[in-house]
Amino acid sequence: MTSIEYFEVECTEPLGGEYYRQITNDVLLDHNLLRVIHKLHVYIDPNVPVFVACGMLKKITSLVRVRDFVNVNPLEGKMILVISNETYLAPMLKIFWQRFGKDHVEQPDRFTVVLYDLAVDPKEIEEIIIADPSEALYKDLIYAFRCIAPEGFRVRREVYGKERFSFISSEDTLTASSDALVAEKFRLMGEEP
Amino acid sequence: MILVPVTYRGGIYRHDEIVALIEDLGGYIVQKHTLAQEVVLQCFVPKDDIELIRTIAKPLAGEVTDSPLVGTEIAVVIPSLEIHHLPHPACDIAEYSRRLGAKSNMVGMARGVGKRIAGINDEERDVINEHDIAVYVLGNFEVCIEHKIPILRRGVEVPIVLCGAPDKETLERITKPAVDGYVGNVGRFMHRTKESDELAKLDEIIAEITRVLERKREEIAKDPLSVSPARLMDVIREQVPAILDVTSPTPLTVQMAGLRVKLPYDSYASVLKKTVIEDGITIGDVSEIVPSRMRDYILVKILPFSSTNVVV
Repeated sequence: MTSIEYFEVECTEPLGGEYYRQITNDVLLDHNLLRVIHKLHVYIDPNVPVFVACGMLKKITSLVRVRDFVNVNPLEGKMILVISNETYLAPMLKIFWQRFGKDHVEQPDRFTVVLYDLAVDPKEIEEIIIADPSEALYKDLIYAFRCIAPEGFRVRREVYGKERFSFISSEDTLTASSDALVAEKFRLMGEEP
Repeated sequence: MILVPVTYRGGIYRHDEIVALIEDLGGYIVQKHTLAQEVVLQCFVPKDDIELIRTIAKPLAGEVTDSPLVGTEIAVVIPSLEIHHLPHPACDIAEYSRRLGAKSNMVGMARGVGKRIAGINDEERDVINEHDIAVYVLGNFEVCIEHKIPILRRGVEVPIVLCGAPDKETLERITKPAVDGYVGNVGRFMHRTKESDELAKLDEIIAEITRVLERKREEIAKDPLSVSPARLMDVIREQVPAILDVTSPTPLTVQMAGLRVKLPYDSYASVLKKTVIEDGITIGDVSEIVPSRMRDYILVKILPFSSTNVVV
């Protein structure tokens, strides 16, 4: 947990809290999410019962653009795109097909894409947005907290966005006091709710 | 002749000699695994002849170890079959008990999760009651275990070993009425048990299961069974050839006081009932043959001597 600046597990049962600290660590590590979390506060009260996890995320890497993984070489009547990382190849091709049409896009081999007869500036190609990693990140984060939270707590509310998130779950209906609880935990981390 | 459960582990080369020896000595092989060049035999052998088997197995590089769980069927009961409990810790416990000879089954409840909402249904209760022992692997909170254990054990008549995160004393205090065994500091966790202290915990669970089963064995010994389950297994294997076509890893699962026969009840119950064990005594004479709640299997419950006045 060295990469997290603040990590607290608060529980009415100290031993249970210790176990949940371990579970949180294991799950976030397995899902490769430790590197994105800046602050995390987990609160569990099995008497109520309620599970709260709220935290702040590190500055999420900006949008993925073509220039981040492609080298654009303009030639006469065509542009050769040399790909260094295949991760976003499929979404990139999809965007190219939509934008320029399949007749103008060709992939002769795994790491090369050729764009034919386009009256577009190579700089403009480089700036095309391919993906927004933060969307998937929040989904992964909520999935991880569903694994961490006690399984019977099936009434959930998740709020995420703007580099912060909160997850609250219980067996019973969540009331207005649940929001106050989340706000209180944000304050404990030194953040404005 | 006292039969004791042991595991033989050795090379595949000339292992048939060991099989023949165990059978000649009057022992029974409950399960045989062939893993590449290795053979693992889980068997019951006469107590006095263990040394003889060891001596004969020595040139074959075979070893005989005590396996107190051979011939037992264990239910590992967990609140659900979700990622929260599987594969850790439930599978770790089930797998560890299997290594020591038990046949373990996982019973994941449909609505066993939570505190207030936890419950057990009749099918789960009946399936658990078909085992020799139930190991309840519950969670991390004292208050939840205290609240839900009376619900989850409702109607369960087999001995229960309760595992949970609170320590053993706390588990004993919060369980009313008391169950048969407790193992503390084994709650819900989400990593593989590989550290030495975690493996020690698994050993502790096995020790507790063994202790509880030993007590059950003593109870059975007070009014002995009309026929040994291992012998019954041999009889069925010889006289009901259909069992040889069953592809399940254990077509005949030996329990402490019975047998699970993995053949359809409707077609084979009457065949089993009429199968002769010895001197005209049939399986139906010394046991109760009932349909199992597990698929369409047959459950053979061996009756004690006091009910049949026969020992074969």
